[in-house]
Amino acid sequence: MSSLVLKRSRNNITIRSFDLKIRLLTRLFSSFCEPHLHNSPIPTHKRTVSASDSAFLAKKNNGFYSYLHGNWKMPCGCNFSRFLSSQAAVEASTFDGLTVEGIIANNWVIYDENESDWKSHAAAIAQSIHLIRKRLRWKKLIPKLEILSEQLNKPDLWDDPARAGKISREHGSIMVKMKEVNAFEQELFEHIDMIKLAREDNDAELESESLQALLTLRRNIKEKELEALLTGEHDSCSCFIEVQAGAGGTESMDWASMVMQMYVKWAEGRGFGVTVVDEMPGELAGIKRATIKVDGEYAFGYAKAEVGSHRLVRISPFDSNKRRHTSFASVAVIPILGDGFSRFQINESDLRIERYRSGGAGGQSVNTTDSAVRITHIPTGITASCQNERSQHQNKASAMSVLQSRLDQLEMERQAKINAEHTQSLTDINFGSQIRSYVLHPYRMVKDHRTDYEVSDPDSVLQGDLDGFILSYLSASLDKNEDDDP
Amino acid sequence: MKSSSLTRAVLSTVLQPVFSTRPNPGRTVACSVAPPKPKVPLYQRPPAFRAALSELKKWHVWAKNQAAAVGSTFLDLDDGPDSTLLLRELNWLVEDALEQPSLLSPKNSSSNYDDAAPVSIRACLDDLYKLWKQRIEERRPFQYVVGCEHWRDLILSVEEGVLIPRPETEIIVDLVDDAVRGNEELRNGIWADLGTGSGALAIAVARILGVGSGRVVATDLSPVAVAVASYNVERYNLQNRIAVRLGSWFDPLEDVEGELCGLVSNPPYIPSEDIDGLQAEVSKHEPRLALDGGANGMNDLIHLCNGAASMLKPGGFFAFETNGETQSKCLVDYMDTKMKGSFYSINITPDFAGIQRFVTGYRA
Repeated sequence: MSSLVLKRSRNNITIRSFDLKIRLLTRLFSSFCEPHLHNSPIPTHKRTVSASDSAFLAKKNNGFYSYLHGNWKMPCGCNFSRFLSSQAAVEASTFDGLTVEGIIANNWVIYDENESDWKSHAAAIAQSIHLIRKRLRWKKLIPKLEILSEQLNKPDLWDDPARAGKISREHGSIMVKMKEVNAFEQELFEHIDMIKLAREDNDAELESESLQALLTLRRNIKEKELEALLTGEHDSCSCFIEVQAGAGGTESMDWASMVMQMYVKWAEGRGFGVTVVDEMPGELAGIKRATIKVDGEYAFGYAKAEVGSHRLVRISPFDSNKRRHTSFASVAVIPILGDGFSRFQINESDLRIERYRSGGAGGQSVNTTDSAVRITHIPTGITASCQNERSQHQNKASAMSVLQSRLDQLEMERQAKINAEHTQSLTDINFGSQIRSYVLHPYRMVKDHRTDYEVSDPDSVLQGDLDGFILSYLSASLDKNEDDDP
Repeated sequence: MKSSSLTRAVLSTVLQPVFSTRPNPGRTVACSVAPPKPKVPLYQRPPAFRAALSELKKWHVWAKNQAAAVGSTFLDLDDGPDSTLLLRELNWLVEDALEQPSLLSPKNSSSNYDDAAPVSIRACLDDLYKLWKQRIEERRPFQYVVGCEHWRDLILSVEEGVLIPRPETEIIVDLVDDAVRGNEELRNGIWADLGTGSGALAIAVARILGVGSGRVVATDLSPVAVAVASYNVERYNLQNRIAVRLGSWFDPLEDVEGELCGLVSNPPYIPSEDIDGLQAEVSKHEPRLALDGGANGMNDLIHLCNGAASMLKPGGFFAFETNGETQSKCLVDYMDTKMKGSFYSINITPDFAGIQRFVTGYRA
């Protein structure tokens, strides 16, 4: 046991003082007296010390493993639900009873990371934990996990392997998320305890090590805050972004191409791959519409925040009278589903495939590098086209992938209406609703109407500096109405 | 015929791949004259040239202006390319010519890449000017400029003297795919692509037939076409499944008379008098031999139709490309009347522009 304790402790910080080791051990063993710890099948909502965590690791892993395979033993199951239902009531804490809520209530000033002040670090971490829980909809996660566990317990679960797989996947992913946050919380308390202990013993080295560990934790958890924004079912997918010019001729087509350029630069800046799939240029300038494919992890999760109508106010360079114009461009974002998701089944005979700009005799009479193709799914009337590939075959393949994704999205929306739970990411967003204004004249400002987030430098935004808008929208939409949720 | 013994050697590998464990060294082009050496497509040439990024940018701006200045002039004149299309072609030229095409992309304009730094290119800067001038001023087809055509999932080497494969013709491959699906006899038989040009149909059909015992014989009257087709066959490493032979239509196929399981062709079908009125890219640059189908454009189609009756084995499939509805109907009518009983399941299939482009059927 003691070797375990020491091993785990060394992982975090090196303990040089023998005295301290002994004292820590005493405390650790005394903490085992709390009955809660011994029964806890998943780590650490109740305050556990690192040692106990390690000691139970094997057992817990086994439990988790068998749980996923539907062999959850009843006694454990009972414990588990009791643990969950009591979870909100029992707060994790340090030895002297400091909790996340307590730290937040203390209103410790949060300084810059460079300030070596443990209270500042602790407060920042506590706030992050609080925020992440809010974003994960912690209070809803717990009953959801309970429901899933109940379903996993049913003996007929594997009669429907697809459903069983989905349930166990979802269950597993919630478990992972909860464990992760709880582990952060636990680590926070560990470091605080260490610092306090070190101070009692005047161990400056240990104190500085713990402080450093706290800072590392603060940085890591800040990143997790962002990750917690992207927990939608399809958030991790790549996506298509489509921009369509509103009414208003050349000015709005120019605007549409500016918007598209903004996304291309944003996506490239984020390290996503960008390919133009379809582009319909305007007669004089700009584009009537265009579709790009954005490849990369969480491309959809971020880009979905951009769906809606974008408004530009400026003196139009296309107006010889130098009047102020208002124009619109609408943006749609379509996830490209991976293999794990069920795809809409397209029936070949439901498709109409056409040359996009065709005329004249074709065949040997014409030599054109234009082999654009448009595919129409006749039952739904949904179309997709591609013209930027160099062969018709590839234009067709590319248009097919756009069509497939559009039909997938349509199917998801249909499902979402049936199953009201998944409405959040897709149907909240109305394609036509105005989400943001870009004003270049008489003043200069970009303002998001959903969050009131604004910046006074439209140029940087149009150069793709969109993350502020995207993150503020994502957090606003996840954090709203959840104020009472820890 | 001088080359007939060689032809037979080729054929034995085509007919009896099971018995021929080693590739026959005499298997390549059956051509008595030394064939012209095909050009390597621009994108496959080594990036052996250097130019300062600033010089390349200068060229790019110049080329864009050239393309933009065209407006719809060519379109109005003879249905040629407009600025939009030319600008897209310019992007592809950049893609093919530069080792790092993104250096010239507008998205990179603000990047801190040194303007004086040398950039690797696959043709010297002077040639890039020359190539784009040829494209705009001489209306040289873009595919000859870059030396390749993207066709289906293939990139084929093309050059003057060889017809640039058209997007419409891709559909013939789909028709073959439909025909061999579930018909192993067709899939494992001998196919012919007559008037193969760049070898496009032969290569795509061979890939559809797969790695079974299916083989393709491609013929062309033009030594340039035979050389380019052979080169493309090698580029796709299909020498063991495709034999390219020089000669007119069925002439090099005497030894497989009545043995063919499939026959595809995109023969010349433009009426002679129409050719001069076509867009400059076609009329001034592409080989007349590959385009001119005689007075009504039907000469070769009728010849193919007659030959198909004797060359195909019963149940063998054929697919021909035509100039459109008039020719397709005319051809079907010819089969129904003059060649009554020779074919069945005769069908006309439109291309993606809705033009009745292809005639297919089976030997009775």
